[in-house]
Formats: sequence, structure tokens, C-alpha cells
Amino acid sequence: MVSFEIKDLSFFYPNSEKKALNNINIQIEQGEFITICGKSGCGKSTLLRHLKPILTPHGDKTGEIFFEGQPLLKMNLREQASKIGYVLQNPDNQIVTDKVWHELAFGLESLGLDNATIRLRIAEMASFFGIQDWFMKDVAELSGGQKQLLNLASIMAMQPQVLILDEPTSQLDPIAASEFLETVKKINREIGTTVILSEHRLEEVFPMSDRAVVMDNGEIIVCDTPQNVGERLKKNENDMYVSMPSAVQIYGGIESNLPCPLTVREGRKFLDSLGLKPNDEYITEKKQAKNPAETVICLNDVWFKYEKSGKDIIKGLSLEVKKGMIHAIVGGNGTGKTTALTLINGVNKPYRGKVKLNGKEIAKYSGKELFSNNLGVLPQNPQALFVKNTVELDLLEMLSDKHLSQEEKSNKVNEVAELVEITDRLQMHPYDLSGGEQQKAALAKVLLLEPKILLLDEPTKGLDNFFKIKLGGILNKLISNGVTVLLVSHDIEFCAKFADVCSMFFDGSVITTNTPKMFFSGNSFYTTAANRMSRHLFRNAITNEDVIKSCNQS
Amino acid sequence: MQSELNESNRISKRLVLTAAIILIAVPLTIAFGIFFLDDKKYYIISLLIIIYTMIPFFISFEKRRPQARELLVIAILCAITVAGRAAFVMLPQVKPVAAIVIISGVCFGPTSGFLVGAVSAFVSNIFFGQGPSTPWQMFCFGLIGFLAGILFRKGIIQKSRFSLCIFGGISVIVIYGGIINLSALLMFSAKFSWKALMTIYAAGIPFDLVHAASTMFFLVVLSNPMIVILDRIKKKYGLIET
Amino acid sequence: MKDTFSGLHPIVNFTYFTAVILFSMFFMHPVFLGFSLVSALIYSIYLNGIKAAKFNFLYMLPLLLLVALINPLFNHEGVTILLFINDNPITYESIIYGIASATMFISVIIWFSCYNSVVTSDKFIYLFGKIIPSLSLILSMTLRFVPKFKAQIKVISNAQKCIGRDVSNGNVLQRARNGIKIISILITWALENSIETADSMKCRGYGLKGRTSFSNYRFDKRDKSVLGTICGLILLMIFGMVLGENTIDYFPSIIFKEITIISAIVYIGYAALLLIPVALNIMEDIKWYHLKSKI
Repeated sequence: MVSFEIKDLSFFYPNSEKKALNNINIQIEQGEFITICGKSGCGKSTLLRHLKPILTPHGDKTGEIFFEGQPLLKMNLREQASKIGYVLQNPDNQIVTDKVWHELAFGLESLGLDNATIRLRIAEMASFFGIQDWFMKDVAELSGGQKQLLNLASIMAMQPQVLILDEPTSQLDPIAASEFLETVKKINREIGTTVILSEHRLEEVFPMSDRAVVMDNGEIIVCDTPQNVGERLKKNENDMYVSMPSAVQIYGGIESNLPCPLTVREGRKFLDSLGLKPNDEYITEKKQAKNPAETVICLNDVWFKYEKSGKDIIKGLSLEVKKGMIHAIVGGNGTGKTTALTLINGVNKPYRGKVKLNGKEIAKYSGKELFSNNLGVLPQNPQALFVKNTVELDLLEMLSDKHLSQEEKSNKVNEVAELVEITDRLQMHPYDLSGGEQQKAALAKVLLLEPKILLLDEPTKGLDNFFKIKLGGILNKLISNGVTVLLVSHDIEFCAKFADVCSMFFDGSVITTNTPKMFFSGNSFYTTAANRMSRHLFRNAITNEDVIKSCNQS
Repeated sequence: MQSELNESNRISKRLVLTAAIILIAVPLTIAFGIFFLDDKKYYIISLLIIIYTMIPFFISFEKRRPQARELLVIAILCAITVAGRAAFVMLPQVKPVAAIVIISGVCFGPTSGFLVGAVSAFVSNIFFGQGPSTPWQMFCFGLIGFLAGILFRKGIIQKSRFSLCIFGGISVIVIYGGIINLSALLMFSAKFSWKALMTIYAAGIPFDLVHAASTMFFLVVLSNPMIVILDRIKKKYGLIET
Repeated sequence: MKDTFSGLHPIVNFTYFTAVILFSMFFMHPVFLGFSLVSALIYSIYLNGIKAAKFNFLYMLPLLLLVALINPLFNHEGVTILLFINDNPITYESIIYGIASATMFISVIIWFSCYNSVVTSDKFIYLFGKIIPSLSLILSMTLRFVPKFKAQIKVISNAQKCIGRDVSNGNVLQRARNGIKIISILITWALENSIETADSMKCRGYGLKGRTSFSNYRFDKRDKSVLGTICGLILLMIFGMVLGENTIDYFPSIIFKEITIISAIVYIGYAALLLIPVALNIMEDIKWYHLKSKI
């Protein structure tokens, strides 16, 4: 049976000449698992929002959408609410009430079900999702991953026929994200709910999907099984490749007539069947450390806890960051990475050990010395920085206490806007930007203080691969100007590609520090997908490009 | 236009309800108090009357089944008020509550002003402990928000710092001080006397002055930025004034 | 210690506290005042421990003295004049009345502290969810937002600190400006992000006709019998009130009814009403003691 049928759907936003959706035709079967991918701004969200009329944005629409054979617009609100479930991006913003149980019941209350039915449905959901333990808790006590599971559960409690998810894992750390996606898969396999999901992180989703839809500029460019999508994109040499899983990207870079691999396991098989000889020599370090580089950040046996009676968060941390490097700290959730950053930026103070910046202890800096022309900090949530009504005013605001002429100020703003490529967004309200653009605007704000050291906390959170590559490019530009970058991230693919030095953080301190090649090729679990796929052949190949290069040379 | 029509409709409904309460429930309560209650009659009667006066607001709000966005805006303003009160809890009588309630009333109209005031008072007492003065505080802050909305609509106060400050100072001293002090008196003494009232007002003056001064301070610094933000949201999401 | 009474249905909790607090405010008869104060103290010790009660009491003591003293200064009614201050008579009756109102006030405050730990916000929301659904939803949302905003204020102020906008240094004007900036950022952030919340509410059918209100509470046999007892005792109190058993005239001279069998019954009834939660707890303790000793 057909779940959704979309016929010739086109859509314009008000006052916009560009088609946000262009002639979309697709038929989605009941029980299918469909992944929609594409750059941010390609129309994924707009398309998904058309599948639930109550969320459909205003604008000019042509074409038709049918749900289970009926025109979608004729469906009444009650049916729409219960049959089409929709999970949004931000776990925190979707929660309405203060208690977990109340949140689970929220949709069912709207539908006007009686107490006994609601109780049963909630009990079912709590058991299916394994959330009995936190059932009576306040939502404020939950982690991000738990919150998103709660959002999913409270939608599923309404027993929808279709589950639509709009980048549901973009705000989650990798472990919470895979747990969430596993649950979605379970819903699809065990309950038979149709799943339509849009995602940036395709590594896990791609192999789960029955079909993948690739969108670009409001159009569907490919719609096929994931394997065929990989093969067809290769033929078209489309730039969508960068957002595909590693196995697909590697497949795309190598001549062969084999089927497209999707997972690490399949990728390994694929490389094996090419009949290559093991060789470590193709890959050399991206850059030799300019020895002896001076140390700009130095932590020496630093200990920290939030309360005197609390447990230690940072335990004997020692770390040296050299000038002009991109230094990445990777590691799991809750190991204290972010706390370590707050010790360097002076927000928290260690109770033992010293933190030095350019050889001077951090506590001896005045606030002004520390943050102007010296240390720049980009917070995890860029929205914590925006004050004004347009991006331009917001950037100018950073210069408000500098003694510069109006012209000098606007020159500076334009310069930095060009650097981070947001010149065409200057007149917009910061909150009307996409997540990636907000990240860039926030970075621009910090850069206006002309920092020599830049601290970044999870800079790739919620970004698609295109934005990540751009961000990496910006960071490279900065270090070529002599800036030092220290970043904390879950995103090992990004660190492998752009960092000069990687440190592994575990249990409150740094376990090991090395160049990315040595670092990731030495690990067997905590390493990139490309490395896991190819380590038996090319030990030092850690990025997709490395693997492709090695294959093509051997 | 549509919204204006609804608005006047709503107000008239509320008027009918209010009139009914004033004409029937209030005299009944007073009679009941005089005939059945002895020494606590003033307290109980006045408590019941302030509760009655809040009911029409709540009912008319429920009756028009407000949209999700409207509920959210009110809840957010309340939460900011409560968080603000918590931030200054070490300084007695320095409360940003009245200031934010006035700004809400001016930006979103009398009903929203009333609700923000009443709900903030209630919720902040969930955190700081409910007490006998909860209904009185709800009533006072609600009334301040309501009046701010009405007076702004009538053009008597403007969205300017100066005008809001004057209103803030006066309303805190007259409405909040006036009513809360009265409630304290009625709670303790059996007989109402002007002399005692004057004494309790005199004793309350320092507290009320601090409260009024802090309200005016918050209005000076908060009103402009907050009004800009609230007006943008109102426009962007097409919220109706109520 | 786990309170048994808190485990009862919210209607039972709420009825009990409404009655007890109103009666405590209202019955100025010394016997009733004494009962109310003692029961409130016992229950609050049971709920919040002896420390909280001690704190309550010490905190209350000055207030008690103040109220007891102020009253005779302004209230010159009463026939038994003890002395004159500035030509104003200080009467025996008004001193007694002052002490009585102070006792009343303190017991009300203590009862409220018990109320606060028994009738939690979700019980309140449940109770009023059916009558005022939108408002109780606002209440629930506000309760969700307060901790969220407090956390966000921290995030924002740290982020601002890291671009050199610190609230804790600089002159007063700068500090105030930075403080306002933090609040502005918070409000914008909250309102802009609430759009997604509104979407999520609409997704789950908010605004459809006939919304129900779910609760985790079940009204069982025990609730029925406790509520029955409470209502019976309330009726007894009203009966006593009509007879004038629990009222007292302080002015012009102190007059209250003679203690008869009927008044004894009313007194006992009042004590029983006040001590219901404590009695339930004791019964529960005994039951557990027996259950354990059998093992």
C-alpha cells in the first residue's frame, strides 16, 4: 500500500524567486525506510514539512500530495495529528511539560483519550523504549539523547502510520545518535511504521534505509536503493559525494565494476577484492612540525572539581599546545573535555596545578588582556552570542568599545564577513540563519577580537559535510595567519582531516597526543571509518582521500 | 480587524462575568461573613473577593482556547520573571517581577499582563514556598500588568522609559504596597481601624520604597531592549494582543 | 521518612490542607489554636525533619513577639485595663488577642510548609488541569522553563565573559550593561526557540477539541475512606461553629462557651482532623513493623 504519493510538487517561499521545491515526484510505500540527504538549504526540511500540513510553511505551492490514497489537505486535523508523527531537530525545544510522564501523555491528551487508554499506551511506550527508570523524573534531569528518545516516544505513543524525522540526531553526540537511530530502525522493523528521515550523518543511516533520496537545489536528483545511489552519483560525479558514508566515498574515488559498499565491513571486502598489496608508504604527514615551535598553551598537572566535596572532573591534566597548530582534543562524552576548555579560558579555576598562556599564568591576566587580541572562545551554542537585530549590527557591536572610525569598523566587519563567507547574510536576523551560518557568524564575532589563540567547543555540531569542509578551510586560513586553534570535538572524521595534532581525552586527562596519522592509525576502535576499512592494507591512511590515494597508487 | 472584533467580544464577556460576580457573589460573601464569621471576617471576605476578581480573567482566557504560541510566550515571560526573582533573592524587596509584568502588559495587552503577573507570583512561590500571601501577590502583580496594558491602550502611558518608570513606581507603592500591607493587617487584627492601617503603611514604607526604586531601575534598563525583542516576536509570529 | 499521606490522591491532600489552613486561620479559640500549632509542628517535623522545624521556629519567634506586642499598642478595646501608654490604655484582652493571632499566624505558616512538601506542583497541575487546562499547561511549561533558563543564563554569561563582557568586573555602568545584554540574549533565545516548541505542540495535536488531562493518580478505597473521614470531620467542625463551640469573643471581654460534652467532642474531632496524616504514618509504621517481624 502506498503511504505518501507526491505529484509535481513545487514551492516558493513568499517574496522569493527561487523555487524551494522543484517538481518533486515520489511514491513512498508503507513500511519503507527512506533517507533524504543533501546539503543544508537544499529543501529537505521544506519537503518534509509539506508532508504534515500543520507544519507546512506559507508560500506558493503547486502539485499534490496524497496520504494513503486521499489528498493530504483533506485530512482532518485529528487524523493528521495521530497518523503522521513528526520529530524535529532540537531535543530540548520540543519538550513542552516539566515531567517525563506528562510529556509522553501530551499528544494523547490532545486527542482526547481517556485516562485508562493513555495509561496503557504510555506503559507500552515506556517499556518499548526502555524508559521506565526515568519515567517519573523531571525533564530537566535528562541528557540530550534521553530527551530526543522521549520526543520520539511521545510521538510513537500516538501510534502514527508514518514517522517523519527532520535531522533528529544533529544535536546529539555520536553514541546517543547511534542509540537513537537504532531505536528508529527497531520501530521500522518491528512495528512496520513508515520512516522518512533527513540526516547529515549518513554513516549509520544509509545502510538501514530501503531507499535514499538525494536532493539538490529543491530537486530530487537521485532516488534509489542506497547502493544504486552510490553507483549513480559516481557516474554523475556529483559533489553530493562528500556527504556520503566513507565506504561510498572511497568507492567513488576508485575505478572498479564492483557493487557499491555501504558499511565498513562491506568497504573492507571491496578493498580486498581489488587485490591490492599492503603498503604504508603512500601517506606522509600533512605538515612537519616547525621545530622548535613555541608553546602557547601549557597546562601542568591540573586538577579540578566543581565542589569541594564533589568528585574530580579533571585529574592531573598536562597539555601543551604549540603555536600555529590546529590541536584537536577528542574523546567520549562526560570525560571532561569541555571542562578542560573552561579552565583554559578562565571561566573555571583549577584547585591544583597551573594553566599558562604564553608563559603567563591565566589567573594573572585581567579580563581585558585575556580576551582582546589574545584568546577567543567560540561557545558550543552560537546563539549565546547574538544580541542585535542583524548580523551586521551584531558584528559591529563587538567593536563598540574600540576607538575606531565608523569606516574602519565597517571595513573590519566586511573583512571578517568575507573570511567566513557570510557577506550575503549581513542584513539578516541572526536567528533567521541556518545552523551552519549561525556558527560562522558567531565565529566572525569572535574573530573581530583578533584572537591569537582560538578555543572551539564542538565546532562541527549540527553541520553538514559541506560546512565542515568550509569550516576546516577557514581554520587553515587562520593558522596560516599565525593563529593557534584548540578544539574539542566528537567528530573524529573532521579531526583526522584538519587537525595537526590530536589528543585523546579520557577520565579527566589526556592519555596520548600525536599527529593525526600516528594517532588514528594506532587506535583500533577509536578511529575513522576509512582507517577501520583499510588498516589491514594501508596502516597510515586515515581519511577517505588517503585511502583513495593509496589505492590509486598501488 | 478580526482580532479586534474578538477582543471587544471577549472584553464584554468578561464584563458580564465580572458584573455577575460583583453583583451576586460579593454581596453574598459579605453577608455570609457578617452573619456567620466573627473576628476573621474581614480577612476571609477580602480573600474571597480577590479570588473572585481573578476568576473572570482565568475563565475568559480558557474560553477562547489560546493557541500554542500564545501559551508559550506567556510561559516564557513568567519563567524569566521567576528566574529574575531568583537571581535577586539575596536582596530583599529587589524584585524585577513588577518591571517585567509591566513590560508584558504594555507589549501583549491587559489580559496577558494580568496572567504573567498572577502566574509568576504563583510559580515563584512554588520555588520559594507558598504562604498565606500567595493569592494577594497574584492579585497585585496581575492587577499591575492589567493596568499597564489598559493604560497603554488608552494612551495614558507610552513605551518610553520615563512613562513606564512613573507608572512602575506608583503602581508598586499604591497597588502592591497598598494591598499587601492591608492583607497583613487583616490577617492579624480582629477589628479594622484607620489608625492601625496608617501605622502598618508607615511601617511598610521603607520596604515599598526599595521595591518601587528597584522596579524603576529595572524598567530603566530593561524596557527598551525587551520591548524591541517582544515587538519583533509579535510581528514575526503574528500574535494578537489580548 | 516517606510520608504516607503524600501518597494519597491529590484531592485528599488538597481538601485536607484547604480545610486545615482555613480552620487554623479562623478558629481563634485557645484550645483550637493550641491543637493546630502542635499538630502542625509534629507533621512538619515528620515531613522535613527536626532541623527545618527548628529553623522555622527560631525564624518565627521574633515575628511572634512582634505581632503579640503590636496588637495591644493599636488595639485599645477590652475592659481590663492594665496600664496607660501616652494616654492610651493597654488592655489584658488585647494582649491575649495578640498572642492568639501570633499563634494563629505561626501555625498557618507551618501548615503551609507542610503543604509545600505534600502538594507538589504536578499534583496541583493535576487538580486544576480539568478546570483550567490552558493555565495549568502554562504552569507546567513555566516550571519546565525556569531550570532551563537558569542553565542558559550560565551558558550565556560564560560565553559573554569569553568575549570580554564580564558582569563581575568593570564599573557599575558596564556591569549593568553586560547584565542587560545577558537578559536580552536570554529572552531572544527563549522566544525564538519557542517556535519549535509550538511546532512540536501542534504536531501532537494541541488545539484539537476535547483535550483530556491525564493523571497518574488513582482514587482507591483508601483514598475514599480518608476523604470520607476528612469530610465528616469538616462537617463536625461546621456543626461546632454553628453552635459556637470553636469561637471566642476577645472583646470587650473574653467570653467562650463552657466546656461541655459536645464541646469535648468538637475538640477531639478537630484534633483528629489535624492529626490524620500523622496517624496514617504511625499506622503504616506499625504495619511494617509487624510485616518485618514475621519474616
